[in-house]
Amino acid sequence: MPGRLARLLVVFVAAGLAAAALAGQTRSTPAYTPPRTADGQPDLQGIWRVWGLAQHDLEPHAASYGVPAGLGVVVDPADGLIPYKPWARARRTEHHAKSRIRFPYDPLQNPDPLAKCYIPGVPRITYLGWPFEIVQSKAFVAFVYEWMHIRRMVPLTNRPVPQGIPRWGGVSRGRWEGNTLVVRVTELSDWTWLDAAGNFHSQAAVVEERYTPSGPETLDYDVTITDPDVFTRPWRIRMPIHRQRDARLLEYECHALLEDAGVPLTWERDWDAPLVIPKE
Amino acid sequence: MAERTTRLAASAAALAILWLASPAARQESQFQAGRSLAVEAAAARTLAEARTPIPRLPNGRPNFSGSWRLSGGAATYSWEEHLGGFGIASEGPTLVVDPPDGVLPYQPWALAERERRRRPEAAYEENVAKCILPGMPRMMVYNFFIAQAADKVTIFHGTHPATRIVRFDNRRPLPDSIRLWMGDPRGRWDGDTLVVETTNLNGRGWGNLGGDVISDAARIVERFRMINAGTMWWEATMTDPKVFTRPWTMRFPAPHVKIGDGPEDVDLDFEDSCHEGNVDLEHLKNLYDQARKK
Repeated sequence: MPGRLARLLVVFVAAGLAAAALAGQTRSTPAYTPPRTADGQPDLQGIWRVWGLAQHDLEPHAASYGVPAGLGVVVDPADGLIPYKPWARARRTEHHAKSRIRFPYDPLQNPDPLAKCYIPGVPRITYLGWPFEIVQSKAFVAFVYEWMHIRRMVPLTNRPVPQGIPRWGGVSRGRWEGNTLVVRVTELSDWTWLDAAGNFHSQAAVVEERYTPSGPETLDYDVTITDPDVFTRPWRIRMPIHRQRDARLLEYECHALLEDAGVPLTWERDWDAPLVIPKE
Repeated sequence: MAERTTRLAASAAALAILWLASPAARQESQFQAGRSLAVEAAAARTLAEARTPIPRLPNGRPNFSGSWRLSGGAATYSWEEHLGGFGIASEGPTLVVDPPDGVLPYQPWALAERERRRRPEAAYEENVAKCILPGMPRMMVYNFFIAQAADKVTIFHGTHPATRIVRFDNRRPLPDSIRLWMGDPRGRWDGDTLVVETTNLNGRGWGNLGGDVISDAARIVERFRMINAGTMWWEATMTDPKVFTRPWTMRFPAPHVKIGDGPEDVDLDFEDSCHEGNVDLEHLKNLYDQARKK
C-alpha cells in the first residue's frame, strides 16, 4: 500500500511539474506598457475591483440560491478542479453543504468565516467583489481594501518574515518582475476559506500573486497556491481586475452592519480549532 | 513534527495574548508600555527646537512622509482635563485650546449624554469595544505612517488601522446619504500647513473612552504643521452645531515626532484581528442588558 501511494505521488508530482512547465510557457506576457511612478516603478495605483464569480466558487459550479452558475477560474489543472487530496475534497464538500443558505438564516450556523465578518485572507480578499485601492511608494505597495478597512502593506525590501505566528491575512513580501508585481504570501492561518463554497488551505499554504497591467483599465491577476498538506500539486487561478474610475473607496464595516442587522457580536469565538491534517 | 508543534505552541501563545488583550486594554497599553509620557513630551519639545529644514517634495510642498508617534499623552479618555480613576488609567490635561478655559462648549443635552455614557452599562455601546473603527478625530490618538505624493497624502493609521487617502483635487463631496465612521476627507494647503477637512461622519462613534460626543453634523478641520524635519503639530477644529454651542479646537499637549522614514515603525506586519478575537463583549452586554431590565 505505501508503495502504491509513493508511486501515485511520483505520478502526481511529475504531472504537476509538467503542467507547471506548460503553464509557464502559456503565461502570456501582455504587450501593454504601464505608466511609471515618480520612483520609476510600474504604476498600478488606483481603485480596482474584480467583477466575477470567483467569490462564490473557484471551481465550476451550478447555480444555487443567490449564486449564479459559473465555469470557475482554476486555469491549472486544465480540468478546472482544485487538486485536493481525498480527505481534503471530503472536507470541502462538507464545508459546501453546511454553508448553503437555508431559511430562516442564522449567520452563526454558517461555517464560512465571512458570515461572521472575519478577515477573508489572501487571495479571497481580492475577488470578494468589494473595491480596493493600490497606493505605491518606493519601498512598498499598499493594498487598501474597502471590506472591513483591511489593508496590506507589501514591502519590496528583503524584510524577514516573522515565523510561527499565523495571521488571517498572512505576511506579504513583494518584488517586481518586469511590469509584474509578484507578492508571496506565507504564514497564512487555516481559519480562512478561499471562497464562499468552502475551498480551503492549511497553514502550510504559500500563495504567490502576480499582478500584471494588461491595459490601462485592467490588471491580470494570476495566483499560484501551493500547499502540500492539502493539495496534490500547486494550482493556479486567473482573472482580470478592473479599474474603477468613478468609484470612491468607502466603508464596509462588516461586523457593525451585522450588529445593525440584529446579530449581537458576542458569540463564542471558535475559529481557533486547528485544522487536523490526516497522517498518510 | 517538532517544528509543527513549536508552530502550534507559538500560535496558541499568540492567541492567548490576543484573548488577554481586550481592545480597550490594548488601546491603553500603547501609551503605558515602557513610556514615560512627561519625559517624552520634554524630549519632543527639545527636538522641536532643533533647526532642521522641513523636507519637501519636488513640487515644493512639505513632505510629511514617514512614521509619526504622538509624544506625551493622548486623548484616550477625554478631550477635557480629567483625573485617573475607575476605568481611567491616569489623569490628563485638557486638549482644548479654544475656548481658552479648556472646557468643551457642550449643549446641555450632549453633556448629559456624555454623563450617561460614563455609566458602566453603557460601555457596551462604545464602538472600539466592539472592534469597530474609532472614527475621526479619535483615530488620531494612534501612531500613523504617511506616504505623500504630489496628488495625495495617504495616512496609514495604526492599532485599529484604517487608511485615509486624502486628495487635493477639490472633488465633489460625497452625497449626504453616505455616512462613514472615518468620514470623507478632502485636502488643501494653507501655505506649508496641510489642511484636511472631514465631513459625512456617521455620528455613531464615541470621541474617546470617556464618551465625548460628536454627531453626523460634525465638520473637522485638521491642520498638520511641521516645525522641523522631525516634529509636527496637529490640531483640529470641530464644528458641530448639533452638539456644541460654538466651534472649538484641540491640540495635543506635545508634538508628534518622526520615528522613521519607512512604514516599519508603525507595525508593517501588524494585523488588526480585533473582532476575530473579541471575547470580552458578552460581559459588557450582560451589564447593558441587566440595566435595561431594571
